[in-house]
Amino acid sequence: MLLTIATAFSLLAAPAAELPATFAIRAGHVLLDDSTVLDGGMVLVEDGRIRAIAREVDLPENCAVVEHAGWLSAGLVGLHSMGSDPAEMRDATRPVLDAEVAWAFNPRSSEYAKAAAAGITTLVLTPSPRSLSGGVSAVVKTGGGRILSRSAHLSLGFSAAALSLNAYPTSFASAVAELNNRFEKPSGAFARARAGELPCLFEVATRADVQRASEFSRRWKLRGAIYGADLAGEQLDVLSEAGLAVIVAPLSAGADRRSIQSTVKLAASDIAFGFGVDNPMLDPQAMRFTAGLCIREGMDRKRAWRALTTQAAELAGVAKHVGSLQKGRDADLVLWSGNPLELSSGVQSVYIDGKLVHEVKKP
Amino acid sequence: MSLPLFALFIAALPAQQIRQPLTQGEAPRQNWIVRAERVYTATGRAIKDGAVLVNGSKIGAVGPGAAEENGKYTLSVYAVTPGMIDASVRIGPGTAGVEQSREVTPELRIADALDLFDVRWDRQAESGVTTALVCPQDENVIGGLGIALKTAGKPTVKDRTLKADAVLRGSMGSQPSTRNSPAFQRPRSFYNRRPTTRMGVEWEWRKSFYEAVAGKNDPARALPGSAELLRALDGKLTLSIQAWTTQDIRTAVFLKEELEQEPQIAGKPRVFVDAAAEAWKEPELLVRSKVGVVLPPFPVDGRTGEGSFMAWNVAKLLCDENVPVAFSAHGGSGPLYSLASQAGYAMQGGLEFDKALAAVTSVPARFLGVEDRVGTLEVGKDADLALWNGEPFQPTSRVIGVIIDGALVLDPRPTDAR
Repeated sequence: MLLTIATAFSLLAAPAAELPATFAIRAGHVLLDDSTVLDGGMVLVEDGRIRAIAREVDLPENCAVVEHAGWLSAGLVGLHSMGSDPAEMRDATRPVLDAEVAWAFNPRSSEYAKAAAAGITTLVLTPSPRSLSGGVSAVVKTGGGRILSRSAHLSLGFSAAALSLNAYPTSFASAVAELNNRFEKPSGAFARARAGELPCLFEVATRADVQRASEFSRRWKLRGAIYGADLAGEQLDVLSEAGLAVIVAPLSAGADRRSIQSTVKLAASDIAFGFGVDNPMLDPQAMRFTAGLCIREGMDRKRAWRALTTQAAELAGVAKHVGSLQKGRDADLVLWSGNPLELSSGVQSVYIDGKLVHEVKKP
Repeated sequence: MSLPLFALFIAALPAQQIRQPLTQGEAPRQNWIVRAERVYTATGRAIKDGAVLVNGSKIGAVGPGAAEENGKYTLSVYAVTPGMIDASVRIGPGTAGVEQSREVTPELRIADALDLFDVRWDRQAESGVTTALVCPQDENVIGGLGIALKTAGKPTVKDRTLKADAVLRGSMGSQPSTRNSPAFQRPRSFYNRRPTTRMGVEWEWRKSFYEAVAGKNDPARALPGSAELLRALDGKLTLSIQAWTTQDIRTAVFLKEELEQEPQIAGKPRVFVDAAAEAWKEPELLVRSKVGVVLPPFPVDGRTGEGSFMAWNVAKLLCDENVPVAFSAHGGSGPLYSLASQAGYAMQGGLEFDKALAAVTSVPARFLGVEDRVGTLEVGKDADLALWNGEPFQPTSRVIGVIIDGALVLDPRPTDAR
C-alpha cells in the first residue's frame, strides 16, 4: 500500500519516462467509442497498450492508479497536416514525386507536442497540395516518435494549387493528362493505388475540383478521400458514386454558414469523414473547434466523435492501432476536464503508447 | 472582347444574388406541350399556331394546333425555336486553362478543366443557348480537344456531355504568339520557346502535322497528341481553328489544302474557322475549300479581335456567297451580348430570318457533328427549346422560356400561374 502511494506520488511529479509499464487510470467519466459514457471507469495499461477497460478492473498487485475526476477518452486522430515544416512537404523540382513524407518527420518538433496538448495523439502527415502528386502520406504519433504507417495515402493534387504559372503543369487539362499517364503505366505508389492497396488523397478546393477528382477516381477505380472542399456536403451523390470519403478542413469562427451546413449534411449521409488539422498551417486546436462548430449547427454528436476518432483511424488505415478504447489498442489516452465535445473542456493529461507526454501543471 | 465581358459583369450581378443557380440539381422532366403562334423548326418549315410535344428528353411531335387544353404542362408562348447552339463559348478556367510548358498540346481535354458551377453556364441556358462548344483557350498553337455540352442539367461533365472530343482546337494569328518573352534574353523560362510571330505559329502547326505523319511509320517519332492530329488529318476529328484576320484565315485554308495533298493521309480534314471576322474579305477561298465560319460577336464600331474589322452586313455577304455561317457570343449573355442579339445584328445587316436562325441552330450543329441530336425541331431530336415572347432576334423580343433535355430550366409562366 505504501509503495502504491509512493509510486502515485512520484507519478504526479515525474517526467514521462518514469511511468511503470503497467498502470491504471480511474476517471470520473469514460467516453467510449460509440459515445456511451461510463460513469466512473478504469483503463488498465500494460506495455503501452490498453489491457482492460471497464467500470471496475482487477488490477495486478502494486499497480499504480492515476486518479482523474474528469473525462477520459481515446486520443484524437488528425487526418491532414503538413507537419512541423510545411516547406519540406513539397519538392519544387518535379510535379510528381513518388516519395514518403515519413522521411520529413521530426518527432522532436514542438509542433507535435502542441498537437498532443490539444488531445491529438495520431496525425497524418501529408505532402503539399501544391504538387500534382507530392508523395505518400505517413501516420505518426505526436509523442514518442512512432511512425504507424509510412504509406497511408497517395497524394493527388486536383485543385488549382497544384498548377503553376511558370512550371509544368500550368493547366488542369495537362494535370489530369499527366496523372492519367501515371495510372496507365503505373509503377511504385501509383501501381499500389491502382491495385487498390493504397488509398488516394485527392487535394481539392472547389466543387469543380470535386467533380474532376470523382470522375478521375471512378475512371481508375481508386479509393480514398478528398480534402479541402468546404462544400463537399452539396455533392453527396457525386462522392458516393465515386465511393470517396471526405476529410474536413478546419473551419474558423468566421466560416460561412453554408460551409458548416455542408459538413453537417455530410454527417447525415453514409459518406465516411474525418477532420484535418491544417488550413494552411498546423493548428491543432482547430480540429476539435471545427467539430464543435458543426455540432452547434446540428451535427450528430456521436457522428462527430466517431469522425474525430474511430472513423478517422479507419481513413488513415491505422484502426487496428488507434482511435478506439478497445483492449489491445495503443494506450493513447486523453484526460479532459469535461466532455471533449464541449469547447469549454480542456486537455489535462495525454498518454501516448502508455507514456505521459503532456500534463497541465496545476499552480 | 472587353465590351462583351464588361456587359456580362454588370448584367449578371443581381441575378446571382436573387435566385438559386440552375446547376444545383437536375430539373424534373415532363411531357411538356409548348404551344406557339409561330413554330420555327429550323428545317425551313415554319408553322403558324402550332405546338411542340416534349416526350421525356426528346421531341415527341411537331405540328399545327396539336393541343387544345391549357393543362398544367402546357406552355403558351409567341414563338418557339430549337435551343440555340454556340460553337465558341469561352467560359474557361482562365490561367489554369492553358498548358504553358508546350505550345502544341492536341491530347489535352478542356473537359478536364471545366467548372460547371460557374454561374455563366446558367446565364447561357437562360439566354436560350442550350448547346455549347467549349475549347481550350487560344494561348497555345494547338490547344487540344473541345467538348460539346448542354448548358444545364446535373453539374457533372458526364451528364452534360453531348459529344466528347467534338473538335481539335488550335489558333492562327497573334494570340498564341503574344506575351512570350522576347528574344535576346537568357532563357529564363519556357515562354522563350514559344512562337513570337504569325509565321512561327504556322510553323508549329505544320511541324506538328508532319511529325504526326512521320510517327505513323516510326513510332519513336510519335509525340503526345500524334493520334489526335492524325484523326484530324483523316477527317475523323473536326478542326476548329481560330483566325480573326484575313492573313490568318488564308493560312488556315492554305494549310488545310496543303495537307489534303499529303499522300500518306487517307481522308480529308474537316475544318471550320472560328472568330473569322474578316472572312468577308476573301469568301471565295472558303467556298473553294468548303470551310465554314463562326463569326465573333458583332462589335459596335467594326473593330474586333487582333485588329480585324467586321461590320453588321458580313453575315449577309458570306451567306450570299454560300459560306456556311454560324454566330457566337463567346460566352456573353444579356440583352446586348447574347447569341440571340448576334442574330439580331446580322438581320440589321440585311440577313434573312431563316439564315439567321440557321446560324444559331442547324449550321453550328453540323459544324460540331451533332445534327442528329440537336439544331432543329424534329421528332426524335433532343427536347432543347427556346421559347420567345415575340419574333426571335428582334430587339423587342427575348427568350422567356428554355427547355433542355426535356427539363424546364427557365419557366415562361408568371410565378402565380405555375
